[in-house]
Amino acid sequence: MNNVKVSTKNVNVHYGTKQALHRVTLDINEKEVTALIGPSGCGKSTFLRCINRMNDLIDICKVDGSITVDNEEIISDEVDVVSLRSKIGMVFQKPNPFPKSIFDNVAYGPTIHGIVETKTDLEEIVHSSLKRAGLLKEVKDRLHEPGTSLSGGQQQRLCIARAIAVNPDIILMDEPCSALDPIATATIEELIDELKNKYTIVIVTHSMQQAARVSQRTGFFHLGELVETGETQKIFTNPENEKTQGYITGRFG
Amino acid sequence: MSNQFSHEKIIQLRKKRSAADRRFKTYGLIATVIGMAILFFLLFTIFSKGYSSFQKTVIELDVTFDQETLKITPNATYEEQVEAKFFKVKKNAIANALPDLSKKDIKLMKKMFSINVDKEIKEYFLQNPNILNTTQKLLVTAHSDVDQMLKGNAKRDIEEKKRKLNDRQLEFFDEFVFTGRLKSKFNNFFFTNADSRHPELAGIAGSFVGSLFTLITVFLLAFPIGIGASIYLEEFAPKNKFTELIEVNIANLAAVPSIVFGLLGLGILLNVFGFPRSTPLVGGTVLALMTLPTIIIACRASLKAVPPSIKEGALAMGASKMQAVFHHQVPLALPGTLTGTIIGLAQALGETAPLIMIGMIAFIPNIPTGFTEPSAALPVQIYLWVESAERGFQEKTAAAIMMILIFLFLMNAIAVFLRSRFERKW
Ligand SMILES: Nc1ncnc2c1ncn2[C@@H]1O[C@H](COP(=O)(O)OP(=O)(O)O)[C@@H](O)[C@H]1O
Ligand SMILES: [Mg+2]
Repeated sequence: MNNVKVSTKNVNVHYGTKQALHRVTLDINEKEVTALIGPSGCGKSTFLRCINRMNDLIDICKVDGSITVDNEEIISDEVDVVSLRSKIGMVFQKPNPFPKSIFDNVAYGPTIHGIVETKTDLEEIVHSSLKRAGLLKEVKDRLHEPGTSLSGGQQQRLCIARAIAVNPDIILMDEPCSALDPIATATIEELIDELKNKYTIVIVTHSMQQAARVSQRTGFFHLGELVETGETQKIFTNPENEKTQGYITGRFG
Repeated sequence: MSNQFSHEKIIQLRKKRSAADRRFKTYGLIATVIGMAILFFLLFTIFSKGYSSFQKTVIELDVTFDQETLKITPNATYEEQVEAKFFKVKKNAIANALPDLSKKDIKLMKKMFSINVDKEIKEYFLQNPNILNTTQKLLVTAHSDVDQMLKGNAKRDIEEKKRKLNDRQLEFFDEFVFTGRLKSKFNNFFFTNADSRHPELAGIAGSFVGSLFTLITVFLLAFPIGIGASIYLEEFAPKNKFTELIEVNIANLAAVPSIVFGLLGLGILLNVFGFPRSTPLVGGTVLALMTLPTIIIACRASLKAVPPSIKEGALAMGASKMQAVFHHQVPLALPGTLTGTIIGLAQALGETAPLIMIGMIAFIPNIPTGFTEPSAALPVQIYLWVESAERGFQEKTAAAIMMILIFLFLMNAIAVFLRSRFERKW
């Protein structure tokens, strides 16, 4: 049994007067893949964005409850979100590389956080990040071409490389494969499987097969509530809750 | 089984629809043709009126540089040469421009030459000092009245009183033409001189440089302020009633007539802050106020057009808000902002009213060398010339308009270049 990396207790999220999450309590284990599944609009992304405080960007969004990362409370005005986010990488639904070169995309994080001293160090980090994201072979001769010139799957792996370049503890992925073809999806899934040895990964997915393939634990959301959570194997074979059963057997969702 | 689309009514409707299509196409074509025709007519008029001012008339004159008249010796120093009596040399040359001129004739003859002839003779001598005690054939600038007569802009078959050149002068004119001593040359003065009381010497260099200084002032003031305001309003300002009010007012400001900005310049910049009158500094400041809303609107629209996913990506990497904005959004918004800025500058270039209010309508006979020197501006120069009675200034008006159009054309070319150079990359 792994250590708990992120722990949420009674997290409520409101968009204006509309409540999007109801008392969500969930533990996320270190160096594991936790999948969040559920019908669309049930609050998976909202929950994910609580963990790196991206909901701060939405004026009308109010979060209360308690979330700890490494046993430190992050729902508080005193928390330095910049350093929090440098510890938590994020990969978005639609690949969003910066309109800069492949090299600059990966170098961005290390540069702004002042992680590197010399240019060779930076090159080293860029290369190793691209390698860990399984992209180095494909791009090593074109590092100075724009990141946006890559294919969708490559762009998404570039975003993963960009996220791991600052050596975060946690990687949040919000439906990272929903814009990709099956082959690119398979590549990313393999990558996730490798990355879990080093990082704690939380992945939102609308594909139950994907959740079953890549994750160790799964949480099922429905209408803003965390209905059931447990080992992936168990959720998919022997769920306790009726709604979970309904969802995974495709009766609704 | 009959096809449902072959029904009589449906076929009728289809015919009607394609007829409407054709009709609309024809209207569009007609509108385009009319627009183009008007544009060509405009350009043609301007060009046909203005092109002659790129030519000036010169008269071939035998000038004798004898040392008694000049009062210098063959081994005079440069300083002594500069002080030599060139006006006397000129006087002699004009007196002998045609044989057997009476005293009265000489007076009339003198009026056929530009007052610049002294200087031209002097410059020629200083460049070739070894011509002392020889007679040279020089091409010297003719008076504007002669110039206009040769160009056919002035009528000759009207009453003597209504003519600039009287009957005797016309005889001289014909004699010059007959002996081939009246020639047309490229009018360098038009491009190198500032304004002048003498049409043959008036040029656009002064107002061109004035406009350039003014536009530089506009750019230096309006561009950074505009970008700063846009970034603040778009990215940092809280969304409340007050910022909403500001936003509405920026849009309104863009619609304020330019003369109002002129009044502001006169009332506040000149009278309260004591800025120097008639200078590119004041003109530029006033026009910058006028250009600011255009730049802000363009810059905010370009900032809005940057996909939020890029900013989110940067923030999720742990960039501060400032970094996310300046590293990612601003560079992407820059081409659109620059295009808007150039459109704003092009508007500013053509503005006349506010410049008149702050005194840039003064007669300035020299080319400004700084932002705080009294100066003219192209549109005001056009206004000044079109106002003057003398025929010689009229053709200059059209030529100056051509210059403004070229200036505008260049600015638009830069805008197009920037747009294609920094094509959106996402
Ligand atoms: N920016 C927002 N403003 C208002 N409501 C939002 C916003 N984002 C999400 N919501 C609402 O919150 C609920 C959960 O959304 P989301 O977390 O995106 O669901 P999921 O990712 O599971 O599809 C939805 O009902 C959605 O309408
Ligand atoms: Mg979502």
